[in-house]
Amino acid sequence: MSKLAIFGGSIVAVLVLALLARLLGLGGARIGSAEEARAAAEAMISGFEGGAVALGSDGRAALVHGGAADAALLKVHGARIAARHLRAPFVSAPASGGLAIDSGDARFGTVVLKGVTAL
Amino acid sequence: MPLLFDPVNYAIPGFVALIVVEMLIARTRDRQRYCPRDTLTSLLLGFGSTVSSALTAGLVFAISMWVYQFRFFTIGFAWYWFPVAFVLDDLAYYFAHRTGHRVRWFWASHVIHHSSQHYNLSTALRQTWTGFVSLSFLFRLPLFLIGFHPLMIFFCAGLNLIYQFWIHTETIGRMPRWFEAVMNTPSHHRVHHATNPRYLDRNYAGVFIVWDRLLGTFEAERDDERPRYGIVKDLGSFNLFWAAFHEWVGIAKDVWAAPDLKSRILYMIAPPGWSHDGSRDTSETIKARWEAREQRGIAWKQPTSSSSVEDRAGAPSQAA
Repeated sequence: MSKLAIFGGSIVAVLVLALLARLLGLGGARIGSAEEARAAAEAMISGFEGGAVALGSDGRAALVHGGAADAALLKVHGARIAARHLRAPFVSAPASGGLAIDSGDARFGTVVLKGVTAL
Repeated sequence: MPLLFDPVNYAIPGFVALIVVEMLIARTRDRQRYCPRDTLTSLLLGFGSTVSSALTAGLVFAISMWVYQFRFFTIGFAWYWFPVAFVLDDLAYYFAHRTGHRVRWFWASHVIHHSSQHYNLSTALRQTWTGFVSLSFLFRLPLFLIGFHPLMIFFCAGLNLIYQFWIHTETIGRMPRWFEAVMNTPSHHRVHHATNPRYLDRNYAGVFIVWDRLLGTFEAERDDERPRYGIVKDLGSFNLFWAAFHEWVGIAKDVWAAPDLKSRILYMIAPPGWSHDGSRDTSETIKARWEAREQRGIAWKQPTSSSSVEDRAGAPSQAA
């Protein structure tokens, strides 16, 4: 079996499977409540104890305040939630329909809390 | 010498078919088991891995043959040597895999496989692009010195890889008890992919879970603690190249900024999360913090005295 045939077949299979996942409507996630955000933050960040929560109205992001001038910044990532641990002061700026929080990590990006105007 | 083939090439259609079946099951049971972008990322990383392996296979084989000339015995290709080679290769895999989690240089290569927050059959194909750089093939060299021919060992390694495909699923709960006792299973491997402190750095087996049981690294999956998949600091990105190289970039930055030579070396060979000033978490510190919190939680929950009601009022919140 030639390597070229294997590579060609593989790349076609990759694209077909990704398309199939989309056609089947797989995926989808949201942060449903402040309690869910708090539980996710505590589970994902070692030693973190969540307090007050600023939850985006679209359920796509949340900021969970901790007890040590820190916070967990959550965002929906695909069909899961991803988190970053932030230390105060938090860098934020008004964004369209909400507040943009800088994660401090270029790959993670800036996260917008829809419907939130202040932390 | 028989002309042995790479069995993985022939398994690819089976991989594709089983992923389709698992997707259909996910559609009916839990649509969040798959995410189209995550699936695309995993499969493209798998494709990249086959390309990088093809580019370095010749060199790895040449090194293996060079080592083989110093063998202690000459073990032939008789059929009964294949199961022996398979078992010993799986033991070598256990040590390579364990090192892949405990030494940052090796982890930089292996982390790619753990970087999905999903656990499905497409995750199985999310494989490293930098296996050659991390020198993971070194763990098989003792087998060539014993006298197993590299062709035989690489054939067994292919079978090992095929076995490990089907255990990357949440669709299967538990296998029969005798099977769970001896073989690596979806349940055991879910634990391995989990970031829950209880499950961190456990179940390194490839095919036979007995290695973990014998060497003290086994942890059973618990019904009351669902695995949470990914890495301690999830990527939060679907960027292919970041997934493939982020830990290498991290090593380079740390080595560059390290205060002394010892720290430079330790940033490469110490466990992932080690830092010269202790400011980061290793799996040990995460486990220790979790255990302390569990103990505290148990202490808060035990109504052993009349003061326990007041105590509970100030109890810390529990992790999910």
